[in-house]
Amino acid sequence: MITAEQKPLEEIIAYIEPYDRIFLVGCNECVTVCAAGGRKEVGLLASALRLNSMKQGKTIEIKEITLERQCDPEYVEELASDINRTDAVLSMACGCGVQTLAGRYKEMPIFPAVNTLFMGASESQGIWAERCRGCGDCLLGITGGICPVARCSKSLFNGPCGGTCSGKCEISPEVDCAWCLIWERLKALGMEKRYEELMEAKDWRPSGGGGPRKIVRKDLVL
Amino acid sequence: MQTLKNIEHDRMTGLKVLVIGGGVGGIRAALDLAESRRNVILIDTSYSIGGLMTRLDRTFPTNNCDLCTVSPHLSESSRQVYLDLKPMTRLETLTGEAGQFKATLVTEPRYIDMEKCTACGECYKQFPGAVRFTPGLDPRAPTCMRYPQATPYAFSIDMDKVTDIKALQKVCKADAILAQDQQQTAVVDVASVVLSMGAELFAPAVLEHFGGGRFDNVVTTLEYERIMSASGPFQGDLVRVSDRKRPKKVAWIQCVGSRGINKGDVPYCSSACCMISLKEAMVTKERFAENIETTIFYMDMRTFGKDYELYLDRAKNDYGIRMIRSRPHSIVEEAGTKNLAITYALEDETLQKTEEFDMVVLSVGFRVPGSSVDLARRIGVDLNAHDFIRADHFNPVVTSRPGVYVCGVAQSPKDIPETMVQASAAAGMAASNLPAAVDLPETELDFVPEKDVSGQAPRIGVFICDCGLEIGGVVDVGKMVEFSKAQPQVVVAKAVGYGCSSESMLLIEEAVKGNDLNRVVIGGCSPRTHETKFQDLLRRSGLNKYLVEIVNLRDQNTWTHMNQPKEALDKSFHLLSAGISGVAKNRPLMDQTLPMSRNALVIGGGVTGMTAALQLADQGVKVYLVEKNSTLGGLAKSIRRTIEGEDVGLFMARLAEQVSVHKNIMVLTDTIIVDHSGVPGRFKTGLQTGLRMNYMQVDHGVTIFAVGALPNRPDAYGLGIHQGIVTQLELDAVMEDHPEKIKAMSQVVMIQCAGSREPENPNCSRVCCQAAVKNALRMKTLNPDLEIFILYRDIRTYGFYEDYYRQARNMGVHFIRFSLDNKPEVWIENDRISVFTEDGILGRKIQFEPDCLALSTGMKADDETTEDLAMMFHLPRTGDHFFLEDHVKLRPVDMSVRGIFIAGTARSPKTIPESITEAHAAACRAQALLAKKEINLGAAVAKVDGTKCAACLICVRACPFSIPFINEDGYSQIDPAQCRGCGVCAAECPAKAIQLLAFEDDQIMAKVDGLFGGLN
Amino acid sequence: MKNFEPEIVAFCCHYCAYTAADMAGSKRLSYPPNVKIIRVPCTGKVDALHMMRAFEKGADGVYVAGCLEGDCHFKNGNTRAGQRVAYVQKILEDLGIEPQRLEMIMMSAGMGERFARTAFEFTEKIRELGPCPVKPIKK
Repeated sequence: MITAEQKPLEEIIAYIEPYDRIFLVGCNECVTVCAAGGRKEVGLLASALRLNSMKQGKTIEIKEITLERQCDPEYVEELASDINRTDAVLSMACGCGVQTLAGRYKEMPIFPAVNTLFMGASESQGIWAERCRGCGDCLLGITGGICPVARCSKSLFNGPCGGTCSGKCEISPEVDCAWCLIWERLKALGMEKRYEELMEAKDWRPSGGGGPRKIVRKDLVL
Repeated sequence: MQTLKNIEHDRMTGLKVLVIGGGVGGIRAALDLAESRRNVILIDTSYSIGGLMTRLDRTFPTNNCDLCTVSPHLSESSRQVYLDLKPMTRLETLTGEAGQFKATLVTEPRYIDMEKCTACGECYKQFPGAVRFTPGLDPRAPTCMRYPQATPYAFSIDMDKVTDIKALQKVCKADAILAQDQQQTAVVDVASVVLSMGAELFAPAVLEHFGGGRFDNVVTTLEYERIMSASGPFQGDLVRVSDRKRPKKVAWIQCVGSRGINKGDVPYCSSACCMISLKEAMVTKERFAENIETTIFYMDMRTFGKDYELYLDRAKNDYGIRMIRSRPHSIVEEAGTKNLAITYALEDETLQKTEEFDMVVLSVGFRVPGSSVDLARRIGVDLNAHDFIRADHFNPVVTSRPGVYVCGVAQSPKDIPETMVQASAAAGMAASNLPAAVDLPETELDFVPEKDVSGQAPRIGVFICDCGLEIGGVVDVGKMVEFSKAQPQVVVAKAVGYGCSSESMLLIEEAVKGNDLNRVVIGGCSPRTHETKFQDLLRRSGLNKYLVEIVNLRDQNTWTHMNQPKEALDKSFHLLSAGISGVAKNRPLMDQTLPMSRNALVIGGGVTGMTAALQLADQGVKVYLVEKNSTLGGLAKSIRRTIEGEDVGLFMARLAEQVSVHKNIMVLTDTIIVDHSGVPGRFKTGLQTGLRMNYMQVDHGVTIFAVGALPNRPDAYGLGIHQGIVTQLELDAVMEDHPEKIKAMSQVVMIQCAGSREPENPNCSRVCCQAAVKNALRMKTLNPDLEIFILYRDIRTYGFYEDYYRQARNMGVHFIRFSLDNKPEVWIENDRISVFTEDGILGRKIQFEPDCLALSTGMKADDETTEDLAMMFHLPRTGDHFFLEDHVKLRPVDMSVRGIFIAGTARSPKTIPESITEAHAAACRAQALLAKKEINLGAAVAKVDGTKCAACLICVRACPFSIPFINEDGYSQIDPAQCRGCGVCAAECPAKAIQLLAFEDDQIMAKVDGLFGGLN
Repeated sequence: MKNFEPEIVAFCCHYCAYTAADMAGSKRLSYPPNVKIIRVPCTGKVDALHMMRAFEKGADGVYVAGCLEGDCHFKNGNTRAGQRVAYVQKILEDLGIEPQRLEMIMMSAGMGERFARTAFEFTEKIRELGPCPVKPIKK
């Protein structure tokens, strides 16, 4: 899942300051699940923005809508009928959603209301942690299911650095040392040998080093 | 409403159950009976009901105020149909026999017409000397219970103190004061009687050595409760009576007046006091100040109830409550400071110590009041040596007179959970003198069909009560009517006087019909007390009952702002506006109902399971009795005699025979449970049965878990390595089968708490102290020269078992204490057993060479069985693997899943009579559910809009009852039959896909809007 | 500012605070009429959106009143509500509205006095703070 967090109110307010009629658009996918931009957060932000404008002594009109998925053109089409009655769009989706809106409604100023953070998993209710960097060449099969790219602070490939201490990373006692986790897991699986094998330098091109990436599935293209 | 009582039902049964005593036990018994559609008369000599519990500040072990949890799910109308409450009433005579008693009831005059009284309190305010009102002393009874009308607003008049009756009558605007009210006598037909008179607490004023009631800062445990209570004399501030200062050192003295043989003492143990003092000491630290030093002086710490030992551990270890094993002789008051000096001796020191305390609390026990003795004599019910009601040795709710049952402290000293269990058991037994519940006709009141209002614009009627002067005297009802008329969508607005009077109700009904209204607002008192009444009115008017909104103009407005009439009027506009805009959003809702399967599944074929099965089967319920072993009987089969000397084997054989031949019971031995599904009232459970493990599935509305416990066999004190080292159960068998062996012995040692109250099994097994005393007494009878030593930590012979403990000491049984950190040691040399233990009095180790070492090993939970079943049925367990009931205090045999009950040693260790009582209690609670053809689940349940759901799981995680799940279609599903209606999921859902019906977001928002609408 | 009468909304749990309010009534304990109650089945039902709505509509103060710690009829609805109150307080703070205008309060059904005292104290606190800096614009 893509995780995100609402931007500071101050920043959002600055974006929409010049406008009187705002289209506030949520997304019912990842940002709903990570409580950053679903129907409820849309309601709360709308409420906060209205309160802010009252404080400024001005009237603001906020139209709330939450799309099934903001990164698909068909869903984004739902805004078409009302878009002309607004002055600006504030998106609570991840960067993909914001750009899909911007691509479709070219005349309209589109602003993000959230910061898109990482691809993560839910550790427990209310806590999300980074698990994947989308490097394009998954190593999990040989690292015991724990990703050194996303979870080692230095993205090291051949064991921990000198900053590991009692299973924790030197950047913070809150952060597990990915290589300690990998070792424990390989041990549990009886695959200690894997750890001995040296990994070659990684080809970072599939991870974006070769420019913006795209998937084309010829069989699916209509 | 009494006129609505179903005539047909009355004719059919013609009979009622009479419950005597309005404490928690009596209330529980009466509500259980009413819930299973039996007519009940609940009488109490007091002018209000509630009993002792309502005077407690908080109860152990949860340290909460729990009274409201007692009430079952019972609608107002059915409560009124079945429950007849008669305060100020006593039973004078009881003639006839079980099933057809004639009871003569005498009701003292109250001088207040309860039909007219609005509980405005004006009379009490103006004539406080002559009018009695309990809520002033304790507000909980009438306000905290879910059904305040069940406890009449407790005004009554003490006519002896009235000087001017005319003046008193004049202050009553409802004209409810009856100067000519007289004592009334009525003879009623009752099928059975439940005695639940409770007991008094010992008044220690007779004890000169404790100050004889003269010391300000010496209080009883109950007085201490009142001091801590928010509704007590110091508004909940813990202060000394003498100087109103916060005490720094408080001491409790246990067994004051109990377990004694001196002046003013009774010999029995009052059972509940140890826990009460522990609770008070803990609450003192928790609520007032960590640094208040709390000390408890005790003889034996008797924390034998479920998980009570853990409570004791917490008190000692987490709260630092000081425990001193000593019984102080006297208290001396220091003249100037009014501090209190206590002199005591410690076990391992020879010197006496004197210590000063700021407050001393006397832990007083239960006493039978003279009125209970008189009642028992009047109705021919036997008493025991201590004047408690004499009970059957196997079934402690059965008295000497057939058809008369007993529960609670009237039978023996006990705490609230045990009272609750006995109350339900007694209710169940009492019901067995009536026609079977499943044969009763349905008595749901017939209403006209509901009008379909969907798609109609709201047409709102607003009806405003003046409640005499209660509302009308503070604010102008006319102005409120005018205001309401001006609100959008309001079609009619009217003043209706006393809105809840029958004339006004009729007027409202006509207005609803005549104006084609589809929403109603009542401006009056609290919805807590009157919502159901007006909901019934709507149903009579052909509207769905959820289309009414009650605006609380009295309790939350005119009563609190009576000195600010202008502001009160303004506030009533706001409240009415909120009610009007809120009701516009109300939708017709259906109460969730499901047809009930009227079968029961009883799991476990021991004494508990068989008793429960038999009780249900006798009431016409089809019972599947499942036992995993090849014969019925369980653990009780291995017990030979009870402490009273009853033959357990004979009893068990008769019980098994009755169960096996009963036409309504299907006994399934060699059977295990393999799967379970469904909702309460409609469960489906899969079984594998017989040697070939054939699969079968049974439908049942209720389930009773009676899977029992296992005898503990700890690897301790040489158990299993020498034939002379046995458990108490094995010793029991030797005495019964080979008495000659006992006669040949010269010395026996017993070790208590073998494998209990230790870190690996921290709880007390409850039964072992009385078992050891029982076996010791029998051995002494068989062989009077036998020397018996019982090594113990605390002797927990609660209640009347104390008599046997005293008898054992009188017969020369020696009791020697040891502590957990200095346990006895057992050596075996040349096939001889040697036991070493520290003797605190001699101050050195002593050695025994007994012929037999009997270990009190107690019980442990059947972890494997309870784990499997807990997983399958989604039931919680305790840390030591017993099942965990829904509410440890007030719902001891109900599980958190409705329709599932537990009884016997599956809940916690207990004796055979206690297990039998729980079996009856569980059967009674189960019957209450089975008495209906349908199960009503209310309407306030969470509903998911699948199209909005993002399957994010928060509802699944946040639900306190683990009801939501993500279904095959990939969205959250909430079973309305299981939802409790708290709305947590609705408030958490990030997709706003969940609404709590009856409290939907648009309804709450509309009320918020209404509060400010057009008024600012 | 002395004559300022704050508008206060109290979301009260049916099982405790709402009952306590009734009890304050039956004991005739007076508290400021500024406090207006909306009844909920459990404070766990009170959504952040409801609290915000009250401020939008012109409340000067809002409180959510639930059962005592560990006393919730639904196990933990009151603690959930407490967490939400803290969250909304942060939003208010970001908007330059004093977070003290929103509060979580716990009491039991038996505490009529406490209800009255809390209502009084909260009203006084809001009176001190003065009108909410945000008020609906009159049309």
